[in-house]
Amino acid sequence: MAERDPVDQARADLLVAVGIVALATAYWLAADAIPSSPLSGTVGADGLPKTLAWVLGGLAALLGARAAATCRRLGPPARPDPVVRAEARRRHLRALGMLGLGVGYVLVVPYLGYALAVFALGVGTALYNGAPRTWRLVAGGAVGAALFYLLFVQALGIPLPAGVWPGVWKGVFG
Amino acid sequence: MSGLEHAWHALTTTPAVFAAFGGVMWGILGGALPGISPSIAMALLLPFTYDMAPIPAIVLLASTYVGAEYGGSIPAILIRTPGTNAAAATTIDGYEMHRQGRGGEALGISLVSGVIGGLIGLAVLVLLTKPLASVALLFTPPAYFSLGILGLSVIASLSSGSLIKGLMAGALGLMLATIGTDPVSGVSRFTFDQPELLDGIRFILVMVGVFAVSELFVQSGLPAWEKAGRGESRIKLPSFALLKRLRRSQLIGSVIGTFEGCMPGAGGSIAAFLSYNEARRWSRRPEEFGQGSPEGIAAPETANNTVAGTALVPMLSFGIPGSNSTAILLGGLLIHGMDPGPMLFTRHPDFVYGLFGGLLVANLSLFVIGILVLTPAIWLVNRPKPYLLAAIYALVFSGVYSIDHSLFDIGIVLAAGCVGYLMRLLGFPFLPLVLGLVLGYLIEANYRRSLLLTGGDHVVFVQDPVSLGLLIAALLFVVGSATRDFREARRRAREREAGAGG
Repeated sequence: MAERDPVDQARADLLVAVGIVALATAYWLAADAIPSSPLSGTVGADGLPKTLAWVLGGLAALLGARAAATCRRLGPPARPDPVVRAEARRRHLRALGMLGLGVGYVLVVPYLGYALAVFALGVGTALYNGAPRTWRLVAGGAVGAALFYLLFVQALGIPLPAGVWPGVWKGVFG
Repeated sequence: MSGLEHAWHALTTTPAVFAAFGGVMWGILGGALPGISPSIAMALLLPFTYDMAPIPAIVLLASTYVGAEYGGSIPAILIRTPGTNAAAATTIDGYEMHRQGRGGEALGISLVSGVIGGLIGLAVLVLLTKPLASVALLFTPPAYFSLGILGLSVIASLSSGSLIKGLMAGALGLMLATIGTDPVSGVSRFTFDQPELLDGIRFILVMVGVFAVSELFVQSGLPAWEKAGRGESRIKLPSFALLKRLRRSQLIGSVIGTFEGCMPGAGGSIAAFLSYNEARRWSRRPEEFGQGSPEGIAAPETANNTVAGTALVPMLSFGIPGSNSTAILLGGLLIHGMDPGPMLFTRHPDFVYGLFGGLLVANLSLFVIGILVLTPAIWLVNRPKPYLLAAIYALVFSGVYSIDHSLFDIGIVLAAGCVGYLMRLLGFPFLPLVLGLVLGYLIEANYRRSLLLTGGDHVVFVQDPVSLGLLIAALLFVVGSATRDFREARRRAREREAGAGG
């Protein structure tokens, strides 16, 4: 990732510090809810988590203080370059799209089954990243999915999800 | 049984030899792909080692590391894009040689230097690991706790400019390690009524997510890399006269690689650049550096392959991973129930010597496989990036599902990928997170066991001489790294002020 403007970085650090303090607080509260046990010993099951929450909160406060000092010292950030900003936004959106493809795979694989879902994932990811829409893409996706199926299901014996197809098969052909 | 017999037994009775071949091959192909670092190539393999026996599994991962260090030099030389961070120094003279029509020669120098560096690294590994591990029997629960703290102190040198962020990442890793069943009382913590979390979060899922998936997210927004010419798939091995000329730079590379590899946190990239500089300083033809000097390839390539062996010294002796790649290896060891550290030699000598034997095969076979795999590696680098990203994404999901047959695991990998992406974006180092996650159990379990034995008296950690020594070492490590960072920050500030002033 490209190097950032120091003031921009400090502002991001300030936001991160606030977020991490919130996370540390939530973690401390969750640790406080851990049931006590007579087997826990002198420290208890919540001992380390609570210490970690304090450490993390303290470090976040330090980061925030340092970031605030940097912002004060360097003054307001340089006027953001709209091209750079648009490029950064484009990259984050692309990453988000990749995440969406992954989440989509997790959601559809129980229904479509492994072979079809991995085909959809492969073709979808390639298209999303700029592969041309040609029959070669579909053929390549089908060959890839078949190879993955042969490797994982047939050769390695992994019971990957079969989807709704066994039920459909049974319904149609008894 | 002697070490040699153990190694021979492992090589002849397990598929370790095939694992070494396969690992080197996969490593070269993975390393040749820009963006796929050795640790990512290893992380992609990790799920497949789950059902393997420990020796071939770890030989496969370690051989991938060996292969990837060489593989990274292929695109560095041919398309001026280092396949791995450690190959960045090779780009300077490698690409220049390629421009002069000497690409095959540059690849040959890189391969031979890599093999030499790998063998030297392995020799150092074999010689140093056992003496360091001989303190095994002195370790008590307080010492193990302090060992974990020493491991965490490595964060200080890994945090590259922001100690606070490194420590925060380490704390986050420790927090992730607390998820699941409490190691002492057995109560469940932070499981949110999800039965999948009762056993905790597997390291492997976090590693695959943070290293591989976040890289896919990043790569999706980057333009495609250049393509290598078709006529470049022929290696030209260096002549005897050239080899004689390269001796000095290879010696420099191996000495620096040995030192840097044994130092947790240093790693192959630093070793490669230091070696390049030193080779130029000691060269009879320093003016050729940057203009296509063979020594400018030999030094960094020897150094980064030496590191591939010597980086295992602190990992095997003390269970301290000093780089992303050794952290993945450590994860692999833990998956197979091999607690790295002082007791490994005592409890599993067959495993340790089997690993050494496998690494010997990997380093020797690198020479042949490096020549054979060059054409497929160039073919792979030339594939359109969208198809490569699609294949790797499918491979990650299929491999992760294979571990536990669980879609929940894929969800964790995706979540870890998001965390990794945000960490990259905000300048947080990865390795402290992984260190915290891997060392969390060791630290907490031994801390609490120690206090159970002493009725809650913390003095035990300084009364035990080994524990005290380790804690002092950790303190020195942190203070040394913080001082270095502080000086570096002051130097930069002075430079900024001087720049602003005039």
